[in-house]
Amino acid sequence: MLSLHARINLAALVVLVAFFGLTGTALDEAFRDSAEAGMKERLKGQVYGLLAAADEDASGALVMPDVLPDPRFSNPSSGLYARVRGDDGNLDWHSPSLLGLSLDPIAPSEPGVWRFTPLAWEGGKLLSVSYGVIWEDDKGRGLAYTFAVAESMGPLLGEVASFRRTLWLWLGGATLVLLMVQGLVLRWGLSPLRRVASALRRIESGDEDRVRGNYPKELQGLTRNLNALIERSRANQQRYRNSLADLAHSLKTPLAILRGGVGEHPSGPMSETVTEQVARMDDIVQHQLQRASASGAMGTVGSVEVQPVVRKLVRTMAKVYRDKGVDCRMQVAEGTRFQGDEGDLMEILGNLLDNAFKYCEGRVNVVAGPRAHGGGRTLLALSVDDDGEGIADEQVGLVLQRGRRADQHRPGHGIGLSVVDEIVRLYEGSVSIGRAWPLGGASIRILV
Amino acid sequence: MRALVIEDETLLREQLARQLGERGFAVDSAADGEEGLYLGREYPIDVGIVDLGLPGISGVEVIRRLRAEGHKFPVLILTARGLWQDKVEGLDAGADDYLVKPFHSEELLARVNALVRRANGWAAPEIHLGPVSLNTAAQEVQVDGRSIELTAFEYRVLEYLMLRAGQVVSKTELTEHLYEQDYDRDSNVLEVFVGRLRRKLDPEGRYKPIQTLRGRGYRFHA
Repeated sequence: MLSLHARINLAALVVLVAFFGLTGTALDEAFRDSAEAGMKERLKGQVYGLLAAADEDASGALVMPDVLPDPRFSNPSSGLYARVRGDDGNLDWHSPSLLGLSLDPIAPSEPGVWRFTPLAWEGGKLLSVSYGVIWEDDKGRGLAYTFAVAESMGPLLGEVASFRRTLWLWLGGATLVLLMVQGLVLRWGLSPLRRVASALRRIESGDEDRVRGNYPKELQGLTRNLNALIERSRANQQRYRNSLADLAHSLKTPLAILRGGVGEHPSGPMSETVTEQVARMDDIVQHQLQRASASGAMGTVGSVEVQPVVRKLVRTMAKVYRDKGVDCRMQVAEGTRFQGDEGDLMEILGNLLDNAFKYCEGRVNVVAGPRAHGGGRTLLALSVDDDGEGIADEQVGLVLQRGRRADQHRPGHGIGLSVVDEIVRLYEGSVSIGRAWPLGGASIRILV
Repeated sequence: MRALVIEDETLLREQLARQLGERGFAVDSAADGEEGLYLGREYPIDVGIVDLGLPGISGVEVIRRLRAEGHKFPVLILTARGLWQDKVEGLDAGADDYLVKPFHSEELLARVNALVRRANGWAAPEIHLGPVSLNTAAQEVQVDGRSIELTAFEYRVLEYLMLRAGQVVSKTELTEHLYEQDYDRDSNVLEVFVGRLRRKLDPEGRYKPIQTLRGRGYRFHA
């Protein structure tokens, strides 16, 4: 789809071309008409000049002098030609400029009537004017004569062509300049829209939490509504999470009481059944609550820096597992970010680190960095390695299933890796389990 | 040892108090953060168990305030959601360990014991001082490899003194840490218990593990 900028520029181009085209054509026609009218007037003037120069002989018949009013009449092939013809054939005169040339015979003209005729000729185009007169001889007889003057249209056509060239050059130049100016005006005019688009990109990447800045009144409604929508979305998410927290509390506390109660009377008649069912309910509640808490890629507006989250969690693990004295090395590339919810990142890393600290002998490595992906996306590549026993190939699928642990002897829920797998899938990422090198234990690698 | 339990759910709070009491703890209970803060400030607590989902002042805020006021006793947080964000928040606020509800009471007691031991500088559950061995997890006492039967209160006195081996423990301190707030205390009863302990641990008077420092208190010989 064409951008707004391109659309407006294209429309302006079409309008400008049409406008200047029509204007140019009109100006061209007007100039040509004016030039032709001028030529006709000049030709009429030449006829009057010839009339004034005409003389009469002894009998009173019209004769033309040797010296003509316009010297061009006397120069052969000058481009200006005169002819006079008596309608009864008594006179057939032409100017010396017609020497060696011939034109079509003059058609008699009505007295007092001007007739303009374009003539095609071997030397080019001519414009001819003929005018009929009645000349009275000394006996009072009215003799009809036709005066004709023809002039080459070459100079006129040359003038028109020159005007046309200059006209279209200037109009073309004006069109380009106007288009450029319009482009700049558009850029300035549409800059608030570009700012809104840039603000939305910053909100999406997590650098801002709302659209800020002053906008023209036409966009204020839009920015206000955008901010309201973002706020509502956040409030809804918070409300949802609060509801989940309340739900968790109200479901799990009674389960804790049941478990504690059975613990106090372990040999009671229903104790085994209750213990089993409490464990089952706990597993379902824990799994569903964690799944419901995960935002996933669809709920995401923002990103979070990875290093502080890793540090916080490693600090937590060091506290909880302080008796073990685990040596944990962190290698997080500067500026590494996770395009998603901070809570989801914490769940992924928290579960991975908890497992690593639990099953290691004494060493854990955490590596995180960006990984370029197709389509211009940058993913987060995470790996958590430990120096424990590792996870055998045949057990890899087992540990990712909900509620199943490869090692059933350690306390805990056993759903950590399956939760990681589910959250990573929500982000369309991947989890792979292998052997850590050089630590030799388990290596869990995430791309999300 | 004196434990503080802050849990708003009555049945669970009573259950925890009962289980800890059976394990030899003197338990102070609170149903909300306000009361928990008061008890934490007023009494010499050895370990705290704090629910994060408290009404009014949250569990995290209770821990934060107690730490800010200089109370250093270890704290175990109980959380229903089990989200890492909650655990990290609680541990960053000053807690030392966490348990996700519903938990096994054995696990709770084991972690509480571990916290108390660590707070007194003991990494392992077994403490060996001279001929006397104390297993804080199993609550067993041996002298020269022979098991010694102690009453619940005798065990509590011995455990308190051995965890602070080498330090002088006044009668007041012992009374405050071994009795609950409502209990009618009598320091003479304490002397009787210490006397009985001495006779059980060292009937022939060879080792004299528990020393009396007149006017100051008792000390377990490290």
